Amino acid sequence: MTVSASSALAIAVYLLVADGLAALFLGGLLGGAGLMLAAAAVAASWWQAPLRRRIGARPWLGTAIVVVAAGAVVLEVVTVAASMLDAFTHLLLFLLLVKLYTRRTSRDARDLAFLAFFMLVAVAPATTSVVFLALFVVFLVVGTWLLMLRHLVAETEGAPPSLEARRPFGLGRDLFALSLAASAATIAITTVLFLVIPRVGQAALPLRPHVSRLVSGFSERVELGAFGEIEADSTVVMRVHLEAWRGGQGRPEALPALRWRGIAFDAFDGRAWTVSRSTLRLTLRRELPVAFPVHRYYGGPVLTQEIFLEPIGSEMIFGAARLLRLHGRSDVVTLDDLGNVAVPVPSARLNYTVDSEPETGDPRGLNLADARLPSDPRWLARYTQLPPVAPRVVALAQGITAGAADPYEAALRLSGWLGRELKYTRVLESPGAEDPLEDFLFVRRAGNCEYFAAALAVMLRTQGIPARVVNGFQRGEWNPYGDYFIVRLRDAHSWVEVFVDGAGWVSLDPSPRGVPEPTAVAARAMLWLDALRLSWYRYVVSWSLHDQLAAAETVRRAVWTRSALPRVALDWRAVLRAAMIVAVLGSAVVALGRRRRSAVGRVTDIPRFYARALRALARRGLTPGAGETARELAGRAQSTPVAGAFGRLTAAYERVRFGGVALTADEAAAVDGCLAELERGSR
Amino acid sequence: MSLAALLRALRPRRTIRPTRDGWWCLGAAVGLGFAAMNTGNNLLYLLASLLLGLIIVSGILSEQSMRRLRLAAVVPDEIYAGRATVVGARVRNLKRRLSTYSVALEVDGRRLYVDRLPAGDERLVTWEARFDARGRRRLPGVRVTTRFPFGLFVKAGRLVLDEEVVVFPAVWPVDGAWRRRLGAGGARPRRRRGRGHDLYNLRDYRAGDDPRLIHWRSTAKTGALVVRELEAEAALDTRIVLVGDGAGDGARLEAALSEAASLAAHLTRAEAAVELFGPGLHVPAGRGRAHLRRLLTALALYEARAVPAPPRPALRAGVAEIEIALG
Repeated sequence: MTVSASSALAIAVYLLVADGLAALFLGGLLGGAGLMLAAAAVAASWWQAPLRRRIGARPWLGTAIVVVAAGAVVLEVVTVAASMLDAFTHLLLFLLLVKLYTRRTSRDARDLAFLAFFMLVAVAPATTSVVFLALFVVFLVVGTWLLMLRHLVAETEGAPPSLEARRPFGLGRDLFALSLAASAATIAITTVLFLVIPRVGQAALPLRPHVSRLVSGFSERVELGAFGEIEADSTVVMRVHLEAWRGGQGRPEALPALRWRGIAFDAFDGRAWTVSRSTLRLTLRRELPVAFPVHRYYGGPVLTQEIFLEPIGSEMIFGAARLLRLHGRSDVVTLDDLGNVAVPVPSARLNYTVDSEPETGDPRGLNLADARLPSDPRWLARYTQLPPVAPRVVALAQGITAGAADPYEAALRLSGWLGRELKYTRVLESPGAEDPLEDFLFVRRAGNCEYFAAALAVMLRTQGIPARVVNGFQRGEWNPYGDYFIVRLRDAHSWVEVFVDGAGWVSLDPSPRGVPEPTAVAARAMLWLDALRLSWYRYVVSWSLHDQLAAAETVRRAVWTRSALPRVALDWRAVLRAAMIVAVLGSAVVALGRRRRSAVGRVTDIPRFYARALRALARRGLTPGAGETARELAGRAQSTPVAGAFGRLTAAYERVRFGGVALTADEAAAVDGCLAELERGSR
Repeated sequence: MSLAALLRALRPRRTIRPTRDGWWCLGAAVGLGFAAMNTGNNLLYLLASLLLGLIIVSGILSEQSMRRLRLAAVVPDEIYAGRATVVGARVRNLKRRLSTYSVALEVDGRRLYVDRLPAGDERLVTWEARFDARGRRRLPGVRVTTRFPFGLFVKAGRLVLDEEVVVFPAVWPVDGAWRRRLGAGGARPRRRRGRGHDLYNLRDYRAGDDPRLIHWRSTAKTGALVVRELEAEAALDTRIVLVGDGAGDGARLEAALSEAASLAAHLTRAEAAVELFGPGLHVPAGRGRAHLRRLLTALALYEARAVPAPPRPALRAGVAEIEIALG
């Protein structure tokens, strides 16, 4: 099946338009119903040639439509549009439809390609989805083809009516291959340019913030049972890439107590945990590779994690406990004395790197001067604060911890008892007027991680041991394709930090669910796709000046290392011999190349039209014999029905080849006619 | 190396100019770059990079299309002043594998388009040219341009084929007065076949012979068709003498040279030997088309100057002499 150039152009235009509409849908600038309507209008325009002719007959109509549209857009911006981007999108859609229903020339195809491109531009501030990459590549490939095709069609349309121009424009396979090669080259160059263009300037005009999903459990007040609704939700909430594991042994992903700490609470009112107060506000200069200090370093192994946090409506920064440093792009970072780190951009996707010093081994062996129990009674009161607690809860705690050698052992006993004696469940029922913890410990004897953590913290506090509840996420699912953890909403988790004299705050997880569960093995393709998504976030969406500097530093180091190789004593005679061999080989290659070029340059002197005529004649079984002249061949062709046409072509051939004269326009036209007759006759 | 040669060597081989689409593309790239810097949005950086990438690929492909493209002029042997003539260029693609796409030959304000030229192939492109005055003239020159692949930029090579040609004086049919004057000398029969009046030979009839030439008496005598072959006739051999030097009146000089050229062409067609004699020039007598070119070349290159006319050789018997005043 052959496709004419204009049909191919139209197909390319509609593909680009579809790509643009899909992009608008992806960015949420076009809803499902809007997409259906727009798609129907676009599809209907394919068959609207008569309408196009009628509109084309009234040039003023197009101008009037555009003027009315411009007025409507201004009105929309002033009155109803949610943002400039929405108004811009509506204008784009309108212009697109007008162009589709009025397109006549190849110039309209170009305009439509530009409009589709601006749809991608409109979507750029509204999405960070990896699907944008697919739409971008489709646009690039189809757009390259369209521009190339449009250029050739426009040139052919504009060419004067000569012999060459009358030849129908063909869509050769080599042209298509060239277009694909051009697309590949454009992708490669675009990638390089994207990576090296300096990321300078400030984000002064954030066009459209992401609409975030508000996840309960990570605000400054959390009711018991807040995780209940999300514990079955598999939405990805963050990806944690383990970058380095300095001073540690084994693989970092195998660390037993790896969790992503979010927010710690110090006050409990019997039903909800809250953050009583926060201190210390610091400012981080944006884009500079300056680390924000969070916690004092105790000298253990350091785990570096790069975290891509989806917008979940929380300001908290997540990372493995204990957070030492934070590298990020936010202007302001807030740190309080609970170790909670927050940035005030809960609606945007965050990308940051944290250094952590994971807890390893028994903390009782440590004797860190900076981790001594503070003597300030207000501090102790804060972390042993309790609402009125049922006496049987206190008695239970006393019973379990009786005889413990130290507070940490008491904490371990309590944690062990909870994990052993009570059951984990996601089915949470309201305790009604009953005290939730009492209900959990003595009536239902089952609950989710929040109940376990709250029970442990309260029981520790009843024994005068400082404790606090922490909300965060479990480690999640390990993706070996990108060396990172996929953390989902269902991985939300609560545990307890207990203060151990000489070791500081130490994590304890009383929940049976706290033990790492073997995750279901997802399909490899899904993991691979998710790794692609992470690469998209890391190397495209989050690519920053810091990354550019790091990449430049890597290159510089590689070059420096190479140039710093130890010098070898040179044998100059050997160098001379090698140079001579290279020179001889080089000369041979050049000479061979010249011979080949000259061989190629010996273009046959047979004019193309005569070569075509010979091919047509050959299809009739008539080929020139050895040493036979053109005139003799024409004589032999006298018996065929195309004798006249071939005779005239032979005369023209002799005139061009041996007379050294060019064909006039009339002669060329006559030759064209003869060829057509000859080829028609030989099919 | 002289300064001029150095400048010539440093001059870029190609010039690049954005088309209207190209300006749009550049403007969009700059606008997107500004928006990207202003918002810090990497997807905008990506789209701006795409436009810049397209521009770079456009430059690479257009260069590839114009690389190793050779042009050779195809010029007719005879070019007459004031008369349109067809000039051509043979375009060859000397690349080993890659085709050349969408190049145009810009010549004298015209654009001749070649959509595709496969590797190793060639194409003849012709156009009409007109030279108003005789003498050495330069061809208008051809510039190869391309907007391939996206129509964003016009890339143009250097001017080529601006070589010299000799333009003969304008040649017109000789008027009645000249015909009468030339006829007064009488046609001279030549001993070879032709289309004159005198009998040259009798021979057997061959298919295609003019029936009017059948010699009926011999046919009746032999019983087979016999036809007459006639003797060729030629005009009287002539010496054209240019009198004066033409330095005074340019228009008169050109008219006289044109007249001499027209006479020479007419006499040559009538198979007469023509000799040309004038101040500073002498073309000995000769016949045929090649000789006519020599005569026309001498007339084309004649420059008016005060050169004393050499003594004329004695006129052979049966040779007419025509004087033409150069003014």
